[in-house]
Amino acid sequence: MSVDETGLRVAVRADANVPLLSIEHVTKEYSTESERVRALDDVSLAVGAGQFLALMGRSGCGKSTLLHLAGAMDFPTAGHVRLDGVATDGLNEQGLTKLRREKVGFVFQSFQLLNTLSVVENVEVPLLLAGHANPRPIAMERLASVGIAELAHRMTHQLSGGQMQRVAIARALVHGPRILLADEPTGNLDTATGNAILELLRRVSTDQNVAILMATHSAEAAAIADRVVRMRDGQIVQEPG
Amino acid sequence: MGQLVLLYRMILRPLVRQPGRALLIVFAVALGDAAVVAIDLAGDAAAGSFRSSMETLTGKNDLEVTAAGGVPETVVARVATLPFALHVSPRIEGHATVVASGETIPLIGIDLVGEANGEGAKTLDDAEMKDSFRHINDADAIWTTRAVGRAVGEKVELLINDQIRVYTVRGLIPDSAKVSGDAVLMDMGAAQLATGKTGRVDRILIKTPESGEFADWEKRIRAALPDGVMLNPQGSETVANRRMLAAFRWNLRVLSYIALLVGAFLIYNALSISVVRRRADIGMMRAIGASRGAVMGAFLIEAVLFGFVGAMASLPAGRLMATGAVRLLSTTVNALYVSSSPGEMRLTIGSVFLALVVGIGVAVVSALAPAREASLVAPTEAMARGRREYEVRVERKRDALIALVLVVLGAAAAQAPELGGMPVMGYLAALLFVGASAMVTPLVVHVVTSAGSGLLRRLMGVEALLASRSLGGSLRRTSVLVGALATAIAMMTSVGIMVGSFRQTVMTWMDAQLSGDLYLRPAGAVVADQHPTIAPGLAERIAKVPGVQSVSRFRAYEIEYQGLPATLAGVDIDLQRGEQSLSFLSGRPAADVLRELTSSDGALVSEPFANKHHVKADDTITLPLGERKATFNVVDVFYDYGHEAGFIILDRNTMLKYLPDPAPTNLAVFLRRGVNFEATRAAVQKAAAGSDVLMFSNGEIRRQGIKVFDQTFAITYALEAISIVVAIGGIAGALMSIVMDRRREFGVLRFLGATSAQIRKLILVEAGLIGLLANATGLALGFVLSLILVYVINKQSFGWTIQFHLPATVLLGSISVVYAATVLAGIVPARMAVRLNPIEVVHEE
Repeated sequence: MSVDETGLRVAVRADANVPLLSIEHVTKEYSTESERVRALDDVSLAVGAGQFLALMGRSGCGKSTLLHLAGAMDFPTAGHVRLDGVATDGLNEQGLTKLRREKVGFVFQSFQLLNTLSVVENVEVPLLLAGHANPRPIAMERLASVGIAELAHRMTHQLSGGQMQRVAIARALVHGPRILLADEPTGNLDTATGNAILELLRRVSTDQNVAILMATHSAEAAAIADRVVRMRDGQIVQEPG
Repeated sequence: MGQLVLLYRMILRPLVRQPGRALLIVFAVALGDAAVVAIDLAGDAAAGSFRSSMETLTGKNDLEVTAAGGVPETVVARVATLPFALHVSPRIEGHATVVASGETIPLIGIDLVGEANGEGAKTLDDAEMKDSFRHINDADAIWTTRAVGRAVGEKVELLINDQIRVYTVRGLIPDSAKVSGDAVLMDMGAAQLATGKTGRVDRILIKTPESGEFADWEKRIRAALPDGVMLNPQGSETVANRRMLAAFRWNLRVLSYIALLVGAFLIYNALSISVVRRRADIGMMRAIGASRGAVMGAFLIEAVLFGFVGAMASLPAGRLMATGAVRLLSTTVNALYVSSSPGEMRLTIGSVFLALVVGIGVAVVSALAPAREASLVAPTEAMARGRREYEVRVERKRDALIALVLVVLGAAAAQAPELGGMPVMGYLAALLFVGASAMVTPLVVHVVTSAGSGLLRRLMGVEALLASRSLGGSLRRTSVLVGALATAIAMMTSVGIMVGSFRQTVMTWMDAQLSGDLYLRPAGAVVADQHPTIAPGLAERIAKVPGVQSVSRFRAYEIEYQGLPATLAGVDIDLQRGEQSLSFLSGRPAADVLRELTSSDGALVSEPFANKHHVKADDTITLPLGERKATFNVVDVFYDYGHEAGFIILDRNTMLKYLPDPAPTNLAVFLRRGVNFEATRAAVQKAAAGSDVLMFSNGEIRRQGIKVFDQTFAITYALEAISIVVAIGGIAGALMSIVMDRRREFGVLRFLGATSAQIRKLILVEAGLIGLLANATGLALGFVLSLILVYVINKQSFGWTIQFHLPATVLLGSISVVYAATVLAGIVPARMAVRLNPIEVVHEE
């Protein structure tokens, strides 16, 4: 487990030599009505604990597909994805869900908050789904860590875009994941707010040793990452050392 | 042309792409409409056929002469010898039971030769028929309709009154006579002999000459008749029967419309969802020039299409349902009202028209609000991001206030008297309370889902929290669903309480009413307006059986009072016997009332009679009895649940003064205390040899009574079931819509770590919560409606006082079944939710 009794992440550090996320010769194909589409083509990538990696490329280049495979939301057609040492292709649906619950946090471009729940209730959802009996203190702590504890009892439609994305980040971190997958997290925000969110992600990565894999169009956003990986037509085209 | 393109693109194309939604609406219209068509068809067939065969055979007549206890032949002679060119057709009208089949069919006695040569020539003009008249003097000669299925020359055993005799079919009634269904025809003399009506006839039909004013003819004939003999336009009795049945049929119609009301909720819901989903499309249409009227028109045309298709589908379904309903209705009509055999059921132009008007009407009315909402969509919404959630502002407090006003109006309407003999204001009160319940539902849903979500989470986990919040978040949709199911449950509850109360009241009443040990009646079917008689000497023979303390004779006649049918009966009153337990509206002891009845020319009237004719104790009523009119003082009003037309009870000795026929229709035998019941019963049976009578013990007759009662209300259970099926079908459809609308939410939950089982549980908990809210609201509404049914509608329709009784076990069982069905309705939508691909649904944006 990566969450202790108080809900704060305890030190579960991977062996420095073993990457937290390892994507090995992964291919992903989808079938449409008329043809098979190769979304990823022999992609290999490794992300270490606490590392901030930006995936850059145009729409449809395979960034989101890579995030889904990394987040144990899907299986590769070929190759292997290992998350904290666990190969996803060896898991069933329940195993994937368990892996997500324990290791992965997601942040989306359009926030994806549940608008029938308050801010703090949104943050509590991952813990409640995992069967946590008393998630409120942990959720409040996470909200405080992203700077919006005072908004805890508001409904989501009362928030600004930046505040919503902070709630989404708090929710993604509430169960103490080892990796946070962010799909265009600043895509719906103005520049100043987007920069603030990027700063927050940077801080999360550094302070909490959470690996971040961020898909983005923006070179400016990517500049905050430790590494930038460029993708085109389902392949990694350049990975600066 | 442009409007047609708009209609196609905005309405028809989405329909084809979402067949599930279209099917749900068509299902709601079709099933609700089918219930209405079925009750209409079955009601016509069950109630419309009485006396139909009696009204034929003698051609078209103008007037009919009747008298309580029969029209004396002297009166026939007096009318026939009037110095006018009248055609006079005396008739015997009764019933015979075919022993082989047990079927009871109309028996008609006419002057065959006279009719065949006179006015009836048009209908009886048949060579074979005329040839068969050579047997006319045979006492065993009968003629039957082809429907009876007997050949000429065949012997048939018929039970008439308490005697079985063998008759010979001498001819078949020609089709030209247009006698519908089964019927037996006899010559007048044979019919009088067989029915024990020697010296009198049941009716004289008169055709007046074409010349002169009809009113003058009526006046002339009236002048020739004794006081107690009635002269009415022909068919008056049928009109009176139809009038008496009107309340029964009205109540059934109202019940059948409740399924439609439930359907209306669901159509409104489905169309509202459709408008919300298509807001961007509508905005686009508005942006490129479609007017508000065009948008509203397109949605209303969609409703017309749904109504049309639903109505068409309802016709075969309604016809099929009517086949089952007609049997139940015939049993009720026969048991409580009048002789009837189910007539032919046909889908007429009228049925098609009714289905179309009701189907299209309910669809259009249900679509008005959503169509208006669509027309108000601003063109700018085309540019807005898609609204995936069903979020419509609901004015909870305003709606609750409206509910309060409706409750006050409903309570006032419940206090109002009937209009034209119909509990119109009672129906209105019920409708106002249904409206109040619908208006207060959003507040109830809001309070329960917001205040109860924490508790639900603790009890059932995060799924319950998400489910309750989601229901509260889509308040209007949830409220409509809860409202629809609650209305169906309220109907089930209220009718359940009413029937349960009625049943309990009838059982208590039978305890008091049935104090005899054995009851005898002529064998054959029991029908409310038929009173076959028992040989007069039988009561004396039974009274002499050792162990028998006394025998009470009961003689009933059908009479007409103030244009409505009623039953007049004479009873042996023995103050020493058990009638002491009879209960009267005045609350006076039975002994006092009966003593007054026997010591004066008094009458007792039943509660339904008193209510129909606004009669109370100490009033006087004037009854036509035989040739005389006699006035009686109403001694008291007694509770009765056996005959809706109402009873007038006289002391037997009093009745014999006016109607001297001593033959009773029923006997109640009282045994001495301590005698061996079975041995005495066998001895009574032996004494009754030679009379074809049926004998029942006290317990058996009670069981029969309850059986008739249960058969009477079987149709209401069927109608309730239809409403519940419509509601549950609607819930299943609506839950599927919810799944489609909230697929993004389910996808996000999967990203956040929800398992398939948790998503499944979430949907089932939502279904369960809808069921719970609907059960709670429905029970409360049902309780209020049951009070209106028991104390207003039932009282004003039938005149019965029912003691309120809560059949808790039955209600609990029904509610549990409905609740289980509601949760089960969530299974398919839950499977749909689980099969959604979270990656696809989250990235649809």
